[in-house]
Amino acid sequence: MSYLGIIASSVLASNALLSYGFGAIPAIGAGSFRAAAGIRDGRSSLASALALACINSAAAAVLWCVRGLVLFPLGLAGLDIFFFALIVVPPLKALARAARSGSGIPAAVGAEADELIVGSLVFGIALVAARGGYGLGEAAAAGAASGLGYWMASSLLRRIRERLELSDLPDAFKGAPSMLISAGLMSMALLGVDSALVRNLGGSP
Amino acid sequence: MTEERAPFVPNPLLAGLIGICPIVAADRSLPEGLALGIGAAFCSLLLGILSSASRGLVPDRLRPLFSLTLATAAALLYSFGVRAYSPALADGLGIYLPLLAVSATSLHTIKRGSSPGSRPAGGERLASIAMEAAVFLAAAAVIGGIREILGQGSLTIPLPRDGELRLADLSFRPIGLLSASAGGFILLGFLAAAYRIILRKAGRRIP
Repeated sequence: MSYLGIIASSVLASNALLSYGFGAIPAIGAGSFRAAAGIRDGRSSLASALALACINSAAAAVLWCVRGLVLFPLGLAGLDIFFFALIVVPPLKALARAARSGSGIPAAVGAEADELIVGSLVFGIALVAARGGYGLGEAAAAGAASGLGYWMASSLLRRIRERLELSDLPDAFKGAPSMLISAGLMSMALLGVDSALVRNLGGSP
Repeated sequence: MTEERAPFVPNPLLAGLIGICPIVAADRSLPEGLALGIGAAFCSLLLGILSSASRGLVPDRLRPLFSLTLATAAALLYSFGVRAYSPALADGLGIYLPLLAVSATSLHTIKRGSSPGSRPAGGERLASIAMEAAVFLAAAAVIGGIREILGQGSLTIPLPRDGELRLADLSFRPIGLLSASAGGFILLGFLAAAYRIILRKAGRRIP
């Protein structure tokens, strides 16, 4: 698959939020969990997008290395998520915290990434990319594109939420229920994207 | 005279939307709903017991990593169990079985167990975790059942080694959309709204 096909597929046909449901709680804005990546308040959009792309790309690449170079030869590929939690998450957390202690955009990116690392979004995207039969560069590209796809979908949902807050909805549908239905309609629109066509964009690398 | 009310456990799935990630994407049938619900309950209870039992043994600084590692071990153990029981069911659920480790139900338990002021897991806290897990399991099974009936026109129970017991076989054109994530989001939205209406009629606060 070409890099263009991987990116288009990860953003559209296999969107992390709308197809896989990863990170749905903060995107919907429900529960007591912090809205990841400035999604709820819309702050620092550039930092959010960068954080999502960087952390997911790094997680996918590192998990690919651990899985492909260490676990697979030992016949332990099925334990990838355990080793991800044990040996990949701590350095990623440390990296995010180091970036957080700086200033400017890197600090904002680090703060967002620090919040995101432990959750279904980063774990899910890393597992999909590492188990997807890609090479190292392709897995990293798929991770970054999936992060950007999530950012795109959650940003659209935030805009919809702002509009819905001004409209006259029945009480029972205000908030999370209307956001879930909106996410379902967006997901339905993406069902129309031909995944085979998207994957073959740009031909073979 | 004051009226005494039974303890109220809000449905974590329909009220707080906790753990919706696997539900929208992978809970497409009753067997999948049962597998995800039991898995979430298993991980939460095991985490509740082990993370508190190890409170004096693991330094506070390492507790989050320790709990996360425990959660992944529990999810992996459970996913191996599901694969042994029904390989087809495990294949259908794919990465959502190991991801139970970081589903919001597990993270919720980790948060409660790791907060500095939290006490070791007494019977009361474990009972609370068990009650939430049971409510989550019931909701996951109901959602899976609805999606299977309307989306596939049947209702089945998984038997060992990929067998299945067909409880119902309906003769109508199924709504295929319900088997996709889009249908999961939309159904969950309507169920969450219905849950709010029921709560309001029962005099409870809308979450």
